[in-house]
Amino acid sequence: MDVLIWLEGTGIANAIRTIPWLYPAFETGHYIGLSLLVGGILLIDLRVLGFARTLSLRSMIGLLPFVWVGFIINVVTGSLLFIYGATGFGTNKAFLLKMTFMVLAGLNALAFDLAVRRSGADWVTADLPPQHVKIFATASLALWLCVVTTGRWMAYI
Amino acid sequence: MAFLEWLQSSAVGVMVAETLWGYPLFETIHTIGMAMLIGSLGLINLRVLGYKSELPMLETRRLLPLAWIGFTLNAISGTLLFTSDAVVFFNSYTFRIKMVLIVLGGINAALLGQRVFRDAPAGSPPVIPGAGTKWIAATSLVFWFGAICAGRLIAYLP
Repeated sequence: MDVLIWLEGTGIANAIRTIPWLYPAFETGHYIGLSLLVGGILLIDLRVLGFARTLSLRSMIGLLPFVWVGFIINVVTGSLLFIYGATGFGTNKAFLLKMTFMVLAGLNALAFDLAVRRSGADWVTADLPPQHVKIFATASLALWLCVVTTGRWMAYI
Repeated sequence: MAFLEWLQSSAVGVMVAETLWGYPLFETIHTIGMAMLIGSLGLINLRVLGYKSELPMLETRRLLPLAWIGFTLNAISGTLLFTSDAVVFFNSYTFRIKMVLIVLGGINAALLGQRVFRDAPAGSPPVIPGAGTKWIAATSLVFWFGAICAGRLIAYLP
């Protein structure tokens, strides 16, 4: 836990404590990142599962850059928010659960990506996602909803 | 004001404010509804602005059910959160700005629906949005992202 104490004493943490608008600004950024990340993932996963079929699967999977931009915004703003309250967050059960769900969601995304590469993505062109890809999409929806839920609950546990 | 005081002392207002699960549960739903609404409306607005032009414009209306589910979830969860502290929320300028932005976003969404999704006979040429329509789409994005920012800042600003 020495690391957490050290983090909380860094210049960045002190800046967030002393400059009054910095914490709300990072939180707001975290929400904008969340909208891009989860909004994009929802559209992609639901499309893989058969929602809005008249929009081509290839174009919808092409929304991934938004997901990445949202993810990067949230890793940066999330890390800054964490540094500010490291000892509190680092031992918060909801936060630890959130990180667990994030790792699982990441592994699931890797498996999805691997499935696209392995199959040469013929099913993307044919618009026929195989069963295991649909399972990845369902798991992705569930895991990201868990990330949002546990993240929101951090303030209360 | 009497109504707001009645609201926050009503059984619902007290439930949201005082139970351990009430406030966080509706906040979580509010966040998920936000992602649904922004994801679907965001893509429709970007398509009008020319992004992913290979997607048939008229077909992006298939995303509207997701937008409506998100909006409904947020109208309900937002109202419940409001009841927990109605007087404070009502008197907050940031909250009022958020409400104005949502109304403006809603008006823009209706205008866009009229211009882009009006029923076209089969085989009619694809809709090409004019400058006015694109302006509506661009301001929509500003209104909805503005509403997110204002919503987050209610806790910090007067």
